[in-house]
Amino acid sequence: MQLKMFVLSGAAVALWLVPLTALDKRIGWHKSMQGLTLCAAIACAVTAGNIAREQAEQNEIEEIKTRAITADVVDEIATSAYISQQQRQQEAEQILNPREHLERSLALSYSENEESEPITQKQLAEPVAEPEQNAESERAERALQLKAKGWGKAKIILEVWGVTKGGSPKYKAAEAEYKRLIEEGGE
Amino acid sequence: MRAMYLANYFVAGCIASSFLGWIASLHPIAFRAIAFLTAAAFTVWCLCWLLDFSVSSLLKISVSSLQAFLLALLAAIAIGAGVFLCS
Repeated sequence: MQLKMFVLSGAAVALWLVPLTALDKRIGWHKSMQGLTLCAAIACAVTAGNIAREQAEQNEIEEIKTRAITADVVDEIATSAYISQQQRQQEAEQILNPREHLERSLALSYSENEESEPITQKQLAEPVAEPEQNAESERAERALQLKAKGWGKAKIILEVWGVTKGGSPKYKAAEAEYKRLIEEGGE
Repeated sequence: MRAMYLANYFVAGCIASSFLGWIASLHPIAFRAIAFLTAAAFTVWCLCWLLDFSVSSLLKISVSSLQAFLLALLAAIAIGAGVFLCS
């Protein structure tokens, strides 16, 4: 396409200048030839210009696409970095202070269900027996807090589980857990 | 590529100007018609230059783009006419 454009541009200039300089204006058929070549030269120049304009527009679209892809990748990296930082923070909190988590989860379960047994000092002194349950209760607490603040489901799942909205199995699992925790919290 | 298409349209303008000169050289009446057309085009050109802000908002382009277009048009007409007259 570019070759065609260059050939047409060259032809336009040649058809413009050569007949005007080489042919005699006083001779009838020379003059006619000049008119014809000028018309042809205009057609060549306009066609070449149209081709170049199409190419320029395509290049612009490609540039926009490249910019959009780059921005998307940067956004994804930033999101994953944010999520991994949150996960690390949660893990660090769990490792550093298991007793406090246990206390909080037990206190929550006790306040929600008055019939349950009171927490004994012995229970509090025990190390974390079920870290999974502990983390779940913490997630429930956090999700309920955020829901009370008026946050949406997808935002809460992203904040608490660190999973972005989509059809991934992780998101579905997180969504199911979220629904279950909210239902349990609502009871 | 943008420069290429602008250059091609500029060359097309030059050739069109030479073609008008060629038409003017065919017959005295054609010469008068082309002279009238040139005078009218020059008047419009001057008006566009004077009313650049209004015209640019009407055409939805920037003032600098309009001025560049007007200058390119003048240059194309001058080059085309010059080539035809000197050949």
